[in-house]
Amino acid sequence: MPTSDLIAEPVAIEACDCLTPLGDAAATCAALLAGRSALQPQPVQGAGGGDLVPLALCSPMAETVPPRWLPFVRQLAARLPDAGWGRPGRPVFVTSSNFGVGSLHAFVRDGDASHLPYGVPHRAVEFLTRELGWGPEVFVLSHACVSAHLGVLLATRHLHAGLADRALVFSFDFLSPFVTGGFHSLKILNAGFPAPYAVRETGSIGLGDGTAFAVLARTGGRARIAAQAVYNEMFHFTSNRPDGTGFADCIRPLVPLLAGRRPWIKGHGTGTLEAGRLEAAAFAQLLPGAPLVSWKGALGHTLGSCGLVELALALAARDAGRIPGTIGSTAPVFSPAVALASFAAADHDTALLASNAFGGAHAALLLDHG
Amino acid sequence: MSQPLEERLKVLIVDVLRLDDVTPADLADDEPLFGSKLQLDSIDALELVVRLEKDFGIKIGSSEESRQALASIATLAAYIRERAPAAAQPVRG
Repeated sequence: MPTSDLIAEPVAIEACDCLTPLGDAAATCAALLAGRSALQPQPVQGAGGGDLVPLALCSPMAETVPPRWLPFVRQLAARLPDAGWGRPGRPVFVTSSNFGVGSLHAFVRDGDASHLPYGVPHRAVEFLTRELGWGPEVFVLSHACVSAHLGVLLATRHLHAGLADRALVFSFDFLSPFVTGGFHSLKILNAGFPAPYAVRETGSIGLGDGTAFAVLARTGGRARIAAQAVYNEMFHFTSNRPDGTGFADCIRPLVPLLAGRRPWIKGHGTGTLEAGRLEAAAFAQLLPGAPLVSWKGALGHTLGSCGLVELALALAARDAGRIPGTIGSTAPVFSPAVALASFAAADHDTALLASNAFGGAHAALLLDHG
Repeated sequence: MSQPLEERLKVLIVDVLRLDDVTPADLADDEPLFGSKLQLDSIDALELVVRLEKDFGIKIGSSEESRQALASIATLAAYIRERAPAAAQPVRG
């Protein structure tokens, strides 16, 4: 039976921000607190039409040259502190679940080679590296929807191994007809809007564009990640263990670190029924009373970037003094701990931020409010 | 000679999922397609749904609906007969 890996070395967050269809982290957080959603019914194939499904897009979903994610990634990167990224001691960890797969699909479909420079992860990141003027020390990492968590973890290990004095984790996931079509074929992206943790007959997810970064250092900073955990169920390549123990097993090593603390939880909460039920039950069992929220009912699932986008939003919420509730959901819900409305950040001193991924992968981190 | 819908579905499943060690005759109408000896998974379900929607002109609305429809050959045949009666008619072999 696999066990969860605990990374107990703390790491400081010097800077962290994101960009969603609702704006930067502060603007997105304010929109969530106002109950706004970026999800709109959109044709699943973009200009190609198809069923209407809930998507949160920064721009119309089309495979352009250069790719449509470039201006948004540039816009976010303009907020990075200037630190000679990609040079010795300042590594960059770029994470995504789909990188430029939409460009690859456009090439295969249309035979237009102008899409190829963006169509596979290393080429998309080489393009991004040139665009942003980074040096060569750039690592590319992808592990489905825990990609950003693993980027944070690897950056932490570099810092504590003395291989870096500051590290940049950068993530971007922008939707394409290839990605939306895949989730639509699975029927979890359908005509319904997501209602994370809500008890209902049909599960539905939304998908969203998102990009985010975190600048990490060993000490100092505006916040601290106290510990991280990663886990893979090793049960099935598409399914969670039916008893839900995978969700609990990931966060179990973090629970002792929360003794005497007052945590809140940002769960994965995409809107699928089975995973939502199992996740809510695991949190209720191990951290009874801690309020549980998901923001994917407003932003959609930003896939491999969700861990970093939602970290930036958690920090923005802490700064704003209120934690947004679970937008899109109404009672009944899977657990009394599910917070449908916002609540005061001052009542809590720690956030547990968790993500799950295709293939039974789980990741979580503890964010100190201080 | 006409081929009933259930038999067409068995041929389709063996073909789409490339079940090398299984013939259409091995599939019972009421045998569970998932969680049974066939050891099908959600990727198999995806492939089946895409092919069924194309061949029969049906639209499966959610993963829950998909799970119910794909419970067995019998439930799948009933689902198609309800939503696409013309496409479900026996075909001449």
